[in-house]
Amino acid sequence: MELLIVAVFVVGYILIALEHPIHINKTATALLTGVLCWTLFAFSDPTASLLSSQHFIDFLEKLKSSAPNFAALTSSEIHREFVVESLAEHLSEISQILFFLMGAMTIVELVDAHHGFKFITDRITTKNAKTLLWIVCGVTFILSAILDNLTTTIVMVSLIRKIIPNKDMRLFFAGMIIVAANAGGAWSPIGDVTTTMLWIGGQITAVGIVKSLIIPSIVCMIVPLIYLSFTMKGELGEETKVKVEEPSSGYGKLMLFLGVAALISVPIFKTVTHLPPYLGMMLGLGVLWVASELINPNVDDSKKKNYTAAHALTRIDMPSVLFFLGILLAVGALQSMTTLHNFAEFLNHTLGDNRIIITLIGILSAIVDNVPLVAASMGMYDMSVYPPDDMIWEYLAYCAGTGGSLLVIGSAAGVAAMGMVKIDFIWYIKKITLLAAIGYFAGAAAYLIQYSLLH
Amino acid sequence: MEILIIVVFILGYTAIALEHPIKVNKTASAILTGVICWTLFVLADPSASVVESEAFQNFTKHLALEKGIDNFSKFTSSELYKEFVIHSLAEHLSEIAQILFFLMGAMTIVELVDAHHGFRFITDRINTKNPKFLMWIICIVAFFLSAVLDNLTTTIVMVSLVRKLIPDRNMRLLFIGMIVISANAGGAWTPIGDVTTTMLWIGGQITSMNIIQALFIPSLACMIAPLILLSFTLRGNMGEMKSHSSTPEHTVGGGKLMLFLGVAVLVSVPIFKTTTHLPPYVGMLLGLGVLWVVSELIHPDLDETVKKNYTAAGALSRIDVPSVLFFLGILLAVGALESMQVLHHFALTLDTAIGNHSIIISLIGVLSAIVDNVPLVAASMGMYSMDVFPPNHFIWEYLAYCAGTGGSILIIGSAAGVAAMGMEKIDFIWYVKKISLLALLGYGVGAVVYLLLN
Repeated sequence: MELLIVAVFVVGYILIALEHPIHINKTATALLTGVLCWTLFAFSDPTASLLSSQHFIDFLEKLKSSAPNFAALTSSEIHREFVVESLAEHLSEISQILFFLMGAMTIVELVDAHHGFKFITDRITTKNAKTLLWIVCGVTFILSAILDNLTTTIVMVSLIRKIIPNKDMRLFFAGMIIVAANAGGAWSPIGDVTTTMLWIGGQITAVGIVKSLIIPSIVCMIVPLIYLSFTMKGELGEETKVKVEEPSSGYGKLMLFLGVAALISVPIFKTVTHLPPYLGMMLGLGVLWVASELINPNVDDSKKKNYTAAHALTRIDMPSVLFFLGILLAVGALQSMTTLHNFAEFLNHTLGDNRIIITLIGILSAIVDNVPLVAASMGMYDMSVYPPDDMIWEYLAYCAGTGGSLLVIGSAAGVAAMGMVKIDFIWYIKKITLLAAIGYFAGAAAYLIQYSLLH
Repeated sequence: MEILIIVVFILGYTAIALEHPIKVNKTASAILTGVICWTLFVLADPSASVVESEAFQNFTKHLALEKGIDNFSKFTSSELYKEFVIHSLAEHLSEIAQILFFLMGAMTIVELVDAHHGFRFITDRINTKNPKFLMWIICIVAFFLSAVLDNLTTTIVMVSLVRKLIPDRNMRLLFIGMIVISANAGGAWTPIGDVTTTMLWIGGQITSMNIIQALFIPSLACMIAPLILLSFTLRGNMGEMKSHSSTPEHTVGGGKLMLFLGVAVLVSVPIFKTTTHLPPYVGMLLGLGVLWVVSELIHPDLDETVKKNYTAAGALSRIDVPSVLFFLGILLAVGALESMQVLHHFALTLDTAIGNHSIIISLIGVLSAIVDNVPLVAASMGMYSMDVFPPNHFIWEYLAYCAGTGGSILIIGSAAGVAAMGMEKIDFIWYVKKISLLALLGYGVGAVVYLLLN
C-alpha cells in the first residue's frame, strides 16, 4: 500500500509538471493527489517502519493517557485514530502557511490598487543601460525581500515595459529581474514562500536567516551583474509613446507606507508575542482594511469598492492557495507514513553529504515546484537531530529560493515574467541560465565558506 | 486581563453588528478582534481558571511525555503557559481550517455549476403568474436546495431567479425575505445544509441520519407557518415584464452535466466521511478536484480567455473570500474565549441561573439574530462537554435547529440575509417591519413542534 501511495504521489507530481501540455490545471491535480494519498493511507495497514517510529510511539502514549477504553481498541482502530490525528496536525501547519499567504497577497494587492508602487518606480529615470540594470536589480532585490517574488516581478517588469522600448534589451532586463527577485526573497522570512515555510515551521529564526543568508544572496545577484557590466552591449532604444497619467486615489503613498510597515512588523509581532506569524499578518491586514475604508470618505460606494480590501481579496490568486493545500497535504501523508524519513536515509547512504543533496534540491527546484520540495525536506530531516538555524535549514532556504532562476519556468517570478514579456523558454536557456547558474553557485560557495569561517 | 479580553470581544461584536452605520467591513472587525484576543491572551499572566483547567493539565502531561521529565522540569511556569496558549491556538486553527476549506470547496463547486447555468434546469421549470402559488414553489425549492447546498448559495441563486420573475420591487423584496427564511430553515436539518449544522457534524455532536430524522419536520414547520399566514394576507401582483427577455447571453454546453455532478459531489461528502473516517473537508476537496478536471475537459474547443470563466480557476475568483476570512476572525476570537475558560464559566452561570436547557438554547437562537450564529454555536460547543452530552443528545439537535433558523429574525442575523441585503439593497428597518414577525412566528412554531416530538 505504501508503494501505491508513493506511485499516486509521483503520478500526481508528473501531471502537475505537465500542466500545460495536458490542459489540466495543477491545482485540480494537486487536490486530487492530496486527497487520494490520505484516503489510501486511511485504508492501508500500518507499515513496520511506521509502527516503530518515535511519532507513533508518542501518539500511543498520549492515546493511552486520554482514551479510557484504550485496551479495547483494535489495531486498525488505533491506526485510523492515528491517521485522523496526523491529518489534523498537518492541516494546522498547512493552514498557517495558507492564511499567511492570503494575508500577504491581499495587503500587496491593496497597496497596488492604490498605485502605491508608483512612488518607487516613478523615481527611476536614468538613460544609461548599465546603470539602469544595477538600479533595477537593486530595487528588485530589496522589494522582493519585503514583498513576495511574484508581485515584485510584476511591479518591476511593468516598469521596464514602460521605460525600455528596445525588445531584446527588455527581455534581458526581465531575465535579470527574475534572478534578483529570487535572490532577494531567499534571505528574508517574509520574502518568499519556501523561506516563510521554514520560518513558520520553526526550522529557522527571523534574525538567524537574515544574518546568514544576506551575503550569499547578494553574491548570487551581484556576480552575474558584474559579469554583465563588462559584456553587455546595446541601447535602451528611443521612447515613442508619451506617458499617460493613470488616475490614482491619492493615497498611494500612505498605503505603501502602511503596507510595508505591516509586512515588516510580522516578524516583530512573532518575536514579542510568540504567536504564529499568520496572526501578525492578519493583524496587518485588519489594520490596512480599516484604513482603506476610512480614507476616501467622499468617494461614492461603487467607486470606493475598487479600493477596499474586499475587492483586493477577489483578485488574489486563490488557485495557488488551493494548490499549496493539495500538494502540502500529499507531502504530509508521505511524511506521516515515514516514507520521507526513509528516503532521506537512503539519500544519505548513496550521496553521503547533506550539502550535495541540498544543492541538488536547489537545481531540481528549477524543474519542479519548490514548495513541495521544501515541505518534503522538512519532513525528511528531524528537528531533534537538526535544531533550528542548523546549517541544512539555512542552506535549504538559499538553494530552494534561488535555484528556481535556472529555468524560466522554475519559479513563480519566472512564470509571471514569461506571461508579461513573452520570454521564450529556449531564449532564456541561451541568455540567462548561464548567468543564473554562475550566481547560484557563487552564492552557494559564499554560504559554505562563510559557514566554515564562523563555525 | 480576562475582563479586558471580554471587552475587546464585545466591542468587536458591536462593530460587526454596526457594520453599515460605522462603514467598517465586518471582516476587518472580525479579524482584528480575533488577533487582539489571542495577543492579549498570550501576554496575560496565567489565570487560575486556565491553569486549573482540564485542558491545561492534559497539555502538561503530554508535554512531559514528549520532552522527557528532565527537559520538562526546565520549563518555567510562564513558559509553560505560553506553550499552552500556542498549542491551543494550533488546535483551534486545525478545527477552523476544516470548516473554512469545506466552505471554500462548496462555494467553488456551486459557482462552477452556476457558471455553466446549471441552475437553469431548476429555475426554467417555474413559470406561474400567481404570486401566492409562486411563493410556495420558490420557498419549497429554496428549502430543499439549501438542504444540499449552503444557504448563502441557495439565496444567491433564488434571488437572481426572483429578479427575473418579479418586476414589482415591493413584491420582490417580500419574496426575498421569505427566501431567507426558507434557506435558513432548509439548511438546519442536513449536515451539509448550513455552517452551524456542519460545525456540529464535523465536531461529532450529531450524526447525519439522525439529524435529518429529528429536524426535518420542525424545519418544515418553521417555513410553512409564515407561508400559511402569507397565503391569507398577501396582496398585489408581480408587475409587468418590461421587455420579454430572450436571454441572449453567451452560454456553453455542459450545464446539465455540471448540475448533476455538482449535486452528486455535494451529496457524497457525508458518504466519504462515513467510509474513510476522514474529515468532511477532504471529501469536499475530492469533489472539487473531480469537478475541476471535468470543467477543464468539457470545453476543449474554447480559447483560453473564454474558457477561464468556465473552469474552477474562474469560479474561485468569484467566491466570497471576505466571508471566509470573517469566519476565520470570529472563530479565532471565540477560540480564545473558549481556551480561557470564559465560555465554560458562562455556561455554568447560565445553567445555574436558568437551569432549563431548552430555554437556554431557545435564547441562543434568538441571540443568533443579533450576533453571528457561527460563534454562538462554537461557544455552545465549548460550553457543554461531550462527556456529559453524548452525540445526538437533545441539546445538540435543538441547538442545530435554533442556531440555524433563529438568524432569520433580523436581516444581518444570517449569511443568507446579508447576501440578500447586498444584492437587493434591503433596508434593515424594512426587514424588521415586514419580515421579522413572520420569521419569529416560524421560529417559534418549529421550536414547539420539535419539543412536542421529543
